[in-house]
Order: sequence, then structure tokens, then C-alpha cells
Amino acid sequence: MKRLLLLCALLLPALPLHAESQPSPQLLETLEKNAGSVRTLSSDFVQEKHLSMFKNPMTSKGRLYFARPDQLRWELTAPVASGFVLKGDRGRRWHERTGRTESFQINQEPIMKLVSEQLFAWARSDFAWIKKEYRVTVLQESPALLRLEPRSAATAGFLHHLLVGFSADGRYVKSVELHEKDGDFTRIRFQNTVVNKALPADIF
Amino acid sequence: MNEPSVNLFGRLYRYFAGRRRVLYGATLLLVALSLFASSRLKLQEDIVAMLPDDGSSAATDFRLLQLAPFTRKLVVSLKTQSPGDSAGLVAAADSLAQGLREAKVGTVSTGPAALGAEFFGFLGSALPSLCGEADLKRLEAATAPEKVRERLREGYEQLLAPEGWALKGKLQSDPLSFSDLVLERLRFLNLVPNMRLVQNHFVSADGSSALITVGTTVPMTDSAASHQLMDRVDAAVKKTVPAGFSATVLSGHRYTLANADAVKRDLYLVLTLSVVAIFAIYLIFLRSMSALFVFLVPSSVLAIASGAMALWAPRVFAVTLGFGGVLLGMVDEYATMIYFACRKGGKDPALITAEVARPVLSGALATLLSFGVMLLSVLPGQRQLAVYSMTGIAAALLFSLVVLPHLVRPAPGGSLPFGGMKTLRPPRRLVLVVWCAILAVCAFGATRVRFNGSLQAVNLVPPELKRAEAELNRTWGDLQGKALIFAEGKDLESALELNRRVFERLAPTLPPGELVSLAPLLPSEARQRENRDRWIAFWQNGRAARLEHDLAREGASFGFTGAAFAPFLATLKAPAAPLNLDGLRAAGLGELVDALVLPAPGSFRVLTLVPDRPELVQRLSRELAPLPGVRMVSESRFGAVMGGSIIGDFTRYLAITGVLVFLLVAAVFRAPSRIALVLVPVVTGVVCMLGIMGLLGLAFNIFNIAATILIIGLCVDYGIFMVSRLEDGGDETSRLAVLVSGLTTLAGLGALALARHPSMQSIGVSVLLGVGTGIPAALFVIPALHRKDAP
Repeated sequence: MKRLLLLCALLLPALPLHAESQPSPQLLETLEKNAGSVRTLSSDFVQEKHLSMFKNPMTSKGRLYFARPDQLRWELTAPVASGFVLKGDRGRRWHERTGRTESFQINQEPIMKLVSEQLFAWARSDFAWIKKEYRVTVLQESPALLRLEPRSAATAGFLHHLLVGFSADGRYVKSVELHEKDGDFTRIRFQNTVVNKALPADIF
Repeated sequence: MNEPSVNLFGRLYRYFAGRRRVLYGATLLLVALSLFASSRLKLQEDIVAMLPDDGSSAATDFRLLQLAPFTRKLVVSLKTQSPGDSAGLVAAADSLAQGLREAKVGTVSTGPAALGAEFFGFLGSALPSLCGEADLKRLEAATAPEKVRERLREGYEQLLAPEGWALKGKLQSDPLSFSDLVLERLRFLNLVPNMRLVQNHFVSADGSSALITVGTTVPMTDSAASHQLMDRVDAAVKKTVPAGFSATVLSGHRYTLANADAVKRDLYLVLTLSVVAIFAIYLIFLRSMSALFVFLVPSSVLAIASGAMALWAPRVFAVTLGFGGVLLGMVDEYATMIYFACRKGGKDPALITAEVARPVLSGALATLLSFGVMLLSVLPGQRQLAVYSMTGIAAALLFSLVVLPHLVRPAPGGSLPFGGMKTLRPPRRLVLVVWCAILAVCAFGATRVRFNGSLQAVNLVPPELKRAEAELNRTWGDLQGKALIFAEGKDLESALELNRRVFERLAPTLPPGELVSLAPLLPSEARQRENRDRWIAFWQNGRAARLEHDLAREGASFGFTGAAFAPFLATLKAPAAPLNLDGLRAAGLGELVDALVLPAPGSFRVLTLVPDRPELVQRLSRELAPLPGVRMVSESRFGAVMGGSIIGDFTRYLAITGVLVFLLVAAVFRAPSRIALVLVPVVTGVVCMLGIMGLLGLAFNIFNIAATILIIGLCVDYGIFMVSRLEDGGDETSRLAVLVSGLTTLAGLGALALARHPSMQSIGVSVLLGVGTGIPAALFVIPALHRKDAP
């Protein structure tokens, strides 16, 4: 037992080196290359919001569609049907309960601009942009699990870090966790992901 | 003859005849000292010359107009050839802004301060100080249980969307969107009509252009500093604006430079051409080395007048010096009279001087009266012009009557150039018929002359600036066409209170997009206190407790915790801090605050903007009249008032000059027929000027009125010279003097007609017409009429 404790004591300082390391260029290159082969993508998702202002996590379900280079549809199906489509520099949002549909320009809505930048960066695995915006550490090589901390003070003001998990083949994101500074976090799990299948023309 | 004055100049001639070196030395010394003094002159090229300085409303209005938000700034509109690429436009705007900052041109802004947490914090904290009776009624409706449920459902659903993270804080601190009441007030703060924000940058509604503003401390009236500033701006634009983009820069400095450059160019042109032309005329008509002295009289007079100006006012308006050419051309008539009389000789030079002195003094007195009236002007430029001209005329008199007779020797055999024009006597009947016909046609044309009292008619706006103005207005809406309403108080509190009262009068009658006011966001402290007391009273009697209960109950159905809205509920109970300028600045509204709150020595002014439409300005002026401390100014009204006041001023001079000149002529010539003869060139000149302008479709502007005074002063001299010497046998010297001095005047004024600046051009054209017709009237019509009169 003592020898086991000694071994643990010796190994413990080394553990973070394995658990959290600077991303190897090959890993990011591989992820980018694998994601580069993705022309279209559709996926179900489940979102859990762990917010202190709620007694229980808020769970919602929906579906994501992406088509290179700049079309994306984020659609909630439960508990309320709503969502938005991004296409180039324009967007359209809808809400089934209120019956409201409205178009918008992404650049005119600072929050949507931030959201669209994030969504497109992950959908395209645009690591050039990601590395510019975040300090990236690798928590796990395969399947890849990255931890990202915002570089800009403005983003760091509300976002503490992101945890992004990739599929086994590294072609798409499997899960995302957004950890806010106040301890609240949001987890999104992507399921039934289909890559490079033709998408209905009117979906965007 | 007036013996004392004749004897004076005759005696002076005799006195200096033995002391010529002293006379010449003193003259040279005077000219040298004047040249030295005039080297200290500083030119002032702005419109201040034409603004009343009598403390009247026009001068105050002009100063207040300079306080309009965009008047104090350089505006740079950056246009892209690819309107869809807003990211590229924003990046180019940032690059240009950086270039301008590096060029140290002033405070550069591409958009409002980032509206962050401080702004949203401000929205919440401002409510108690801003909510009036009507607002509380809306809050009452918004706190009904069903509304609470509806709003919480919306909030819950918003949190589910990806952008929900940004709304979490807002939902906690303002679940019922009370702050919308404050946000709505921001619509009264839109200074740029066609503007939207893209990435916190001012971008035009059509997405084609980005707006950059530069706050500078360089006064628009300082042309030298304006020149340096605009050079730096242009260099930064050239260096940093990439291909596919173009930049339009507009500011008051550009107008100052355009006018200053035109005036400088005109001065150079006018003075060069007039000196060359006058020298050529002297060579042709005077044909003697002593003619050089005649040429030197106006040149010396120019130096003395400029030297006197330097002593009287170190900063001289360029427009005043522009008249140098006119003066130079005008004052040689006394010298030419003396010259030709001396060249003819045949008498004691002292006697010749004495004989010529009378018409010269009469003519000079008439001209001095014409300019002397301008001393009454409220326009500093006019007063300077009066001093400048009168000094020049007095100096010309002294040189001509005291110095020149010693320098001009009689011509061999007393022969005059062109035989004294004795042969140039057209048939009397023909002269009178032609004269009457011309007068009739011109009298008819005079009825068609169009009057333009606008200051814009005499202000130089080059085509490139007109295009830039049109481009900016097309892209951004009318940035500068705003009427300004100043609410002035001895302190900020009273100014804000007055501003609030202005807003309450205007808001019901104007669409929100047309009214820019800080009043909805910053009422006076007294009004804020009143609102806070009302706010506290509103939440008493269990209303706050009921809302807390409703929030807890309705929130629970969506899964909110009991403490979810604690930050909001705390604001209902905590005492609210008053709003002030620093608070607005901290919230990111600093630029707006600084544009609309204007500290002045011993007072504060708060500015409200409305469209500058004449009928609206008239109506609002009437409605705001009962509010003491409120002053409304607008470009359009200022132009009209200024035009009217200058027209009134000049028309008064015209009338006074006309009466004084008539009285002078009547006093000197007594007989009605001789008085009428003297006035022939004046009447002909004025009628022909008006008539030809009317026939050519030229508008008669305020500078044409000034020129008319000049025409009267010049033409009456010609009449006096001609009539005075018709009977004493000196008419040939008078003819030559009138012709030569008339031609030199036309040469000087002809150059003015070539000026680019509308004011100088107007004077040139109209005097050219008036004097150009007055001279032949003096040379041919007076002798023709006189022959009939002669026994």
C-alpha cells in the first residue's frame, strides 16, 4: 500500500501533463482535415441548461443542419418549437407559439453575430479562428476532447471555458459544454449525426 | 473760387518750391513707415467681416450655429464599392480611423461607445428617476398577473435559445422588461437620420458607407490651422483608404479654405492685373517720365492705407484689402487732373494747383462722404473698408495737391496727348439721342432686375464641396440641416429644467425621428426627485409585495427558483441614485451628452434639434417665445435675417450717400442746371448698371448694393471735374483726367470681375457696368448738354 501511495505521489505531478496539454499541431490539423470533408451535416441534439435561477436543469431537444460554407439551421422541437436559420450575413428566426417570424441581418445583432461565429467555427472546425479566440488545451486525444478558454476580456467576462468533444472519427462535434463565470453551464449532446447527406433545399 | 483753400494749396506749392528735398524726404519716409507697418498686417478671410458686431441677434445666432453637433466636427463618409460586405467596410473604417488618430487630427470616432453591462445597469437604475405618471400606468399594466406569466414564459423560452446566455442577467434584473421604457427614450437621441449600428460602427441604412467623426479643436475661422488640419486628414485618407473604397471629407474647415484660397488667388490676380493695366494706360496716355509719379501716387496710397489699417486693426479682412485694386484704380483721378493741368502749363504752377484744387477737393469730399457713411455700419468689414478707403483718399489728395505739382513739368508747347481729345466731339444731337435711347432701354431693363438677398449668393461653395454635401445628405440624411433650440440656464439644473419644458411643448407636435432631445433621458434634478418620490409611492401599499408574490408563483410554474428575481426586487426597494452627466457618460452615452450639453462661461446650454424647415422654424419660434432662456436658431432663418439686415444696412447707406452727395453738389454748383449736369454720370451709371444686369438676367445681390455706393462716389467725381472746368477753359485736361482715371478704374475693377469669389466678382461686374457707362456720359453727354446751356 505504501508503495502504491508512493507511486501515486510520483505520478500525480505528471498527470496534468497527460490530462491537459497544449494541442499538438497534428491533432488540430487532423480534426480540421477530417471536418473539411464535411459538406453537409444534420444532427439531433439535447440541450441541458444548468442555471442557478432554475430549480432543475432546463432540458430541450432540437435539430441542427449545416451546409458549407455558410448555411445553418438551429431548430428547437421541444419544449417549444422555435429556431433560426443563418444564411450568409442574413438570418431568419421563428417561434411557433407566438407565430412570429422575422428576418434580420447578423451584423446588426451583436449577440446573434457572436452565436453565429461560434456555431460556424465548430461546424467547420475552423481552428485558425478558434485558436485566435481561445487558448486550447487537449484533455483527451481520441476521441478528441478540448478545453477552450477565451482570450478576449470581453468574452471572458461571461464565459469561463468550453469543453468540446469530437466524434471518434473527428469529423464533427459530439458534445459542447459552456461554463459561465457564475458556475452555470450548458451541455449540448449531438446524436444521430449524419454527414454529407443531401439536405432538403428549403431547409435554410 | 474758394479763395482760402485755393490760397492754401497755392501757398503750399510756393512754400515747398524752395524746400523740395524736405518734401520728398518726408513723403518717402511716410511711405516707408507705412510699408513697414503694413508688413505686420494679418489677413482674416472668414465671414466675421460680414457679421454684425453690435451684439445683435445675428452675431449671437451665428455663434450659436457653430455649436451644432456636426458643425464642430469633421465628417468622413467612407464608401465601399461592395455594399454587401459590411465586415470589409467596418475593417476599412477602423483602418482609416487608426490612420486619422496617428495623424493626430483630433478625437476620432467610428461609432458609439460599446453599450455593455454599464449601459444595461443604467437602464434599470434610471427608471425611478425617469418614470412619470404615464409611465407608471404602463408599469401597472405590465405587473398584472397574466402579463407577468406571459413575460416569464417569453424569458424562459429565450433562455432555451443559443443566444439565451446573454439574456440571463437581464431576465434576473428586469424580468418584466421595465427598462423598455428607458430604451424607448433613446429614439430621441438619433443624430444621424439614415444610420444603423453594425458591429458598433455607424453604417448607412443602405450598407454602402461608414461614418467617422473627428472632433477637433482647430477653429473653422483659422484658415492657416485649417489648412494644416485638412492636409493631415487628406494624407491619412490617401494612405489608409484601400482600393474599392472612397472617402468624402466634409467640415466647416473645407468651406473656410475654399473661400480663403479663392480670396488669396483673387487678390493676387486683381492686384497684378490692375497694376499692369494701369501702368500700360499711363504709358499710352501720359507719355512722360513724370507719369511715373502719377503711377506712384495710387501705389503710395495703397501703402499708406494699409499701414494705417495695421495701426488701427492688426487683423484686416481680406475683403477689405481686395478693395485695394479698386482704390488703386480710383484715387488716381486727382493725380491725373493735376498731371494734365501741369503738363498743359502756361501759368504759374501755384496758380494751376490752386485752380485744380477746387474740383479735386469737391470730388474727394463726395467720395469721402460715400465711404464715410459706411463708418455707421454694424459690419466690421464695412467699417474697415470705410477707414481704408478714406485714408487712401485723404493720402491721395495730399500727394496730388502738395507733392505732385513739384514733380510734373510742363510738356513742350503745352501739348497734351491725343490733342487733348479736342477732335473727339461727336455731334451733339447724336450723343443725346443715343444717350436717351440707352437710358430708356436700361430703365426698362432695370425693372426686370432680380434681387437675391441670400448670403449663399455671395458665398463660395466649389462644385466638389457641393457634390460632397449632396453625397453625404443622400447617404446619411440631412446631418447639418437642423434648427437648434438652446435652453440656457445659469446652471445645469435650470438649463435641464428649461430643456424639459421645451421637450414637453415639442414632443406632441413632432414625429420622434424629427426631434433630438436629451430631456427624456436627463430631466432636471427637481423633476427626477419628483419622479423618484412617485416611484416610491407607487410600490408602496403592498404593490411590491404583490409583485414579488406573483413572480414567485408564476416563476415556479416554469421552474424558476424563489431567488431568481432577487436583483430585480431589490431595485424596487432600494433608494435610486439621481441621474447625472457622469452617469450617462459611464453608460456609454458620452458623445451624445457632449453634443447636446454645452457649458458656457457662467451658464449651461442644453441643445434640442429639429428639422430646419422655414415654416416649422417659424411655428416653433412662436410656440417657444413664452419660455425665457430659450433661443432658436437655424441656418435658413439666419441667412434670411442676415440678408435682410445687410440689405437694410446698404440701402440706408445708399439713400444717405445719395442725399449727402446731392447736397454737396447743390452747395458747390448752386444752379439747378449745373447740378443736373454734374449728376448725369451718376444717373447714367446707376440706371445702366441696373438695366444691363436686368437684361442679362444677373441677380442683384448685397455686394451689388455696396458697389452702387462706389459708383455714386466715382461718377460724381467725373461730373464735378467736367462741369467745373467746362467754363474756365480747362475742359481738355478734365476730359483726359476723366478718361485716364476712368480707364484705370475700369482696369482695376475689370480685374475684380475676373475674381472667383462671388462677392468680389459682384462688385467688379456691377462697377464695371456703372463706371463703364458713367465715363462716356461724363465725356460726351455733359459737354453736349452744356453746349445747349451755354449762351
